Amino acid sequence: MDLLTYTLRKLIGGIPLILGVTLISFVLMVHFGPDKTYELLSKNPTAEEIAQVRSQLGYDQPFWVRYGNYLGQLASFDFGYSDSTGERVASILSRTVPISLALLAPGFVLGNLLGIVLGLVAAWHRGRWIDKAIMGFAVVGMSISFLVVIIAFQIVFGVWLGWFPVRGWNVHDFSSYLHYVTVPTLASVFVALGYNTRFFRAVLVEEMGRDHVRTARAYGAGPVTILYRNVLRNALIPIITRIMFSIPLVVISGSLLIESYFGIPGVGKATFDAITSGDQPILKSVVGLTAVLFVLILIVNDILYRAVDPRVSLK
Amino acid sequence: MSALPTDLIGLEPAIGRSPVRRAAGRLLADRWAMLGLAIVLLFFVIALGVWAGLWGGNWMASAGQRWEGPSTRHWLGTTILGQDILERVLFSTRTAFEIGLIVALASSMLGALFGALSGYFAGTLIDSAVLWLTGVLDAIPFYLFVAALAFALKGNPWAMHIAMVATFWTTTARLVRGEVIKLKELEFVEAARAIGLHPLTIIHRHILPNTFHILLVQATIVFVAAIKSEVILSFLGLGVQDGVSWGLMIAESTTEVTAGHYMNFVAASSFLFVLVMGFNLFADGLQDALDPKRSGR
Amino acid sequence: MIARQTRLPRAPRPTIPIAAACAALLLVLAACGDSTAPDDNLRIYRHSTDGAPSSLDPAQAATVYSNMVVVNVFDTLYRYKYLARPYEIAPNLAIGMPEVSADGLEYTFRIHPDARYSDDPAFPDGIGRAVTVGDLVYSLKRHFDPSTRSQGAWLWAGRIVGLDAWAEAGADYAEAVEGLEVIDDQTLRIRLTEPYPQLVYTLATGFSALVPQEAVAYYGREFGVRPVGSGPFRLSSFNNTLARLERNPYFQRPPLDLAEEGYDPALHDEYGLAALDGAEYPMLDRLEIHFIQENAARWSSFASGAVDNVMVPNEQVEQLLSERNPIRFRPEIAQRYHGTSGVEAGFVYAGFNMADPRYGHHPEPARNAANRALRCAVRDAFDWNARNDTFYYGIGQIFPGVIPPVVPEFDPDRVRDSVEGRVEQGRQRLAEAGWNADNLPELRYGLVSGVQQRQMYDQFRGQLIELGFPPDRIGAETFATFGDFARAMKNRKLDLFFLGWTLDYPDAQNTLQLFYGPYETPGSNNFNYRNPDFDALYEQAATLRSGPERSALYQRMNQMVIDDCVAITGLSRTRIYLWDKAVTMYPDNEILGGFFMRFVMSAP
Repeated sequence: MDLLTYTLRKLIGGIPLILGVTLISFVLMVHFGPDKTYELLSKNPTAEEIAQVRSQLGYDQPFWVRYGNYLGQLASFDFGYSDSTGERVASILSRTVPISLALLAPGFVLGNLLGIVLGLVAAWHRGRWIDKAIMGFAVVGMSISFLVVIIAFQIVFGVWLGWFPVRGWNVHDFSSYLHYVTVPTLASVFVALGYNTRFFRAVLVEEMGRDHVRTARAYGAGPVTILYRNVLRNALIPIITRIMFSIPLVVISGSLLIESYFGIPGVGKATFDAITSGDQPILKSVVGLTAVLFVLILIVNDILYRAVDPRVSLK
Repeated sequence: MSALPTDLIGLEPAIGRSPVRRAAGRLLADRWAMLGLAIVLLFFVIALGVWAGLWGGNWMASAGQRWEGPSTRHWLGTTILGQDILERVLFSTRTAFEIGLIVALASSMLGALFGALSGYFAGTLIDSAVLWLTGVLDAIPFYLFVAALAFALKGNPWAMHIAMVATFWTTTARLVRGEVIKLKELEFVEAARAIGLHPLTIIHRHILPNTFHILLVQATIVFVAAIKSEVILSFLGLGVQDGVSWGLMIAESTTEVTAGHYMNFVAASSFLFVLVMGFNLFADGLQDALDPKRSGR
Repeated sequence: MIARQTRLPRAPRPTIPIAAACAALLLVLAACGDSTAPDDNLRIYRHSTDGAPSSLDPAQAATVYSNMVVVNVFDTLYRYKYLARPYEIAPNLAIGMPEVSADGLEYTFRIHPDARYSDDPAFPDGIGRAVTVGDLVYSLKRHFDPSTRSQGAWLWAGRIVGLDAWAEAGADYAEAVEGLEVIDDQTLRIRLTEPYPQLVYTLATGFSALVPQEAVAYYGREFGVRPVGSGPFRLSSFNNTLARLERNPYFQRPPLDLAEEGYDPALHDEYGLAALDGAEYPMLDRLEIHFIQENAARWSSFASGAVDNVMVPNEQVEQLLSERNPIRFRPEIAQRYHGTSGVEAGFVYAGFNMADPRYGHHPEPARNAANRALRCAVRDAFDWNARNDTFYYGIGQIFPGVIPPVVPEFDPDRVRDSVEGRVEQGRQRLAEAGWNADNLPELRYGLVSGVQQRQMYDQFRGQLIELGFPPDRIGAETFATFGDFARAMKNRKLDLFFLGWTLDYPDAQNTLQLFYGPYETPGSNNFNYRNPDFDALYEQAATLRSGPERSALYQRMNQMVIDDCVAITGLSRTRIYLWDKAVTMYPDNEILGGFFMRFVMSAP
């Protein structure tokens, strides 16, 4: 019951946030956004045709009416139909979101797992050569642009080696899934690993500097015991926070480049196409749902805090 | 960590050097950080040279044949239009610094201002407003926000800068807020309040100066983020409109590389990598120098 | 002394990782979506093209890409012959060519009685019904219904008796249109307001495809992604990277007659096309169309065998061709693949906004002449050869005027000084007309943000500066989307622009209408060219059938446009096609477009 009221209270507290996000993105993407009229016109349009299309797209209604409609759509999760293809937005999302998730999940999990492992190794051997080597690689990884990595991987794996496809998503069973997801996963792990390793190492170093850990080490406890029993649990809070907060980032932003470049029909590509062509129903849905997702993650994060450390109160 | 307020105490502590001097000493002794700083300064000199017109001015002219390889006339070869790649990559250094400096400065200022206000008045309406604003801006996916802003500003050459500043200031603000909340409780601030100084004066004269180390570190981080984002934004067509940048060069090169013309790609990526690496090394060293517990020394 | 270790709860049990793994598996299965396993015994052809369609509704089949899919899913009355070049009309759903009345106002069409729509839940019991001419009437009416948001209505606007009035009266489908007379289920008589020799061409476009009313009612707005037609294929899945089509078992046409389709042993023998003679079509079990916009990705998909054909991107041309004129492939390429080349059905050009009196039409004759001199000077400075070499790898076809090589009325012997690119002549023109660095107008060039667009602008800008324009007199306005660019152009805010035009049918009227006065913006006359003499000739030629009299009029109109230096034209790009030797076909991306796919034979 306590948990429920807490969640409810947080949800309600998240409403100003959702309103803010929707208002700002509405102003940007819808009010000032690209004018889709001219893409939907024929090659030889007349002034009446233009006026007709504009009114069908809803461009001639006042700002607050359109914003109000948007909020209504968000509340009912019904965003209507895409302006370009006529497909239901809900159907577009249900088709593209699983693909994006399936594309990014392995990279996300691997990137974080490897980051934690490498951070642990570096923190344990802090100051010695292996620490410096790992940190060196981390800095290098952080310094290479994601774009450069994608292009380079496409050349290496697609053109030179030819082991993996460089684009497309013809996935129908597990082996073809592995086939198509490998290069994108490698690219995203490569880029994220540097940042992850440094962050996790910093957290773990701080934890390992604590008295009880130093004492346990002094008493000769082995690395695994110490790591598992003393360090990891305390370090879990910032680790979980970081992982949770990188989810919306990864799902929307991260997928954009990969999907565009690898030609994968996921939500990032659909959203970017929607931005460049001014397909407002899709934009509204993605932004609105991202805001809701963000608030939900904030809440889940707080709840997980509590699960890991009961000293944190649900206040 | 805060620098001891020497203006109130009146004299330097008798034992050891001031924390600032100690930090500077640590920084200077850190070889990697100094290497990073040297790289950054080298690039800065290149950018200055472009500003002064010493080199890189000829980036637009079609001086040679299409896709020439490296030669004595064109050290890095030419592009599809016969433009000299070396000139372009040098000019792009200036573009990168412009973007980085503007975005870093603006976001630091905004972040400092809002962070300080929010932290000093923590718990009040001002704080809630700023927290709400940062939350909202964080919730919007970065590339969507920048793209939307770029479209909304319709080809304004500052659209990209504005979009980046609008996104990057939130982290600075949050960090400054955290620091200011801690500083607020210190005695010298209580003393200033007791004297009757106006809150804004207190913030301006006593609190903000003690956040400079955070601002400095964040500024370097934002600089790096700005030039890396510019690469991707230019690739998507939302970045630099006039002039040339590493991002535009990489964007151009995507079609060329499959045909075996790598110079554009290699030149831009290498320059970008070295500068970012230099900055990262320096930023690391800076953070370690200011907060030695961080690296576990 | 030993600090008491704070008691913390036990670590989370391993149930979380297991749950995560299950979720991941479910995710993977969900992500399979509409991918199907390849069956090794099927005849599959994987086509790649350089863009994606947005909607597959024939009313919105404005782009080459949507047309490509639409003509395979739906039926049109006519199509183009497979192999004949220049392109020739052939009957598709229609039986033979139409009966035309003496005054050219009545066309009577007969269609095959055994055409059927593919099975779809939209039909009662899910079984596709027979196609009738009522469907054509419905499809044409649909274009004039405002709620359809048609992009093709302009082909028949003002041409069919009663159709525009029907639209204005409320677009009630129960009401008949006088000009669309249904004689019986297979016979339709169309009555025109004035002779329209291009009518049959319009009935070979994707716009004219026959659409079943039931499907539109059933799917509503989603008809654009769930098209139901009577064409040789049935759409089984569609997204912005791939369209998958399966053979429509109900599709029945007379077998392929190669001679009729324009087979020429000298040209077509090497592709093994003779094996197709007398075959029933479509010959494929499955057709996949991959939408790959990025050149690099498209090329590597082809090179790795993921797709069976490719329209070669320009960057690869150097590595594939041993000769450019005539086009000849390197031996190692010719050994692995079949290849051919063809000129596009369209052209690229730069244009002025003639509505601006600073350099366009001017009421005062002296100033008008001076403006014309300025435009002609700019045209002289434009170096088509440089553009061809840089962006089209030198294989584009440069031609003077606005009648491109693909149409029968093209005149290869026309004098070429309007495309020669002589800067000195341009400078001379400027000097004679009294233009100098002080009074040259500021020109704003509009472009859509993109790497190649920017490079083209840089090149053109350099040429203008060489002509004598001060650098600050030429500015670029970049637009983030084509829609914004089009809006600026239609609102006459741009002075110079570089565009491409794709022909809807192989008749020069389709390009000459770009200069017809009444079509000025927001219509297709983006130049806002107003020449009463030109308009008179255009109207005169509009009702003439193809022949020497009409061609003479076309040439006169062409000359007017050249003399007035309205546009800097033009270049038709040369397309190079490569395809796997296991596939027997002769591809085309232009007028024939998607129609060729029904004749493709692929080894299983």
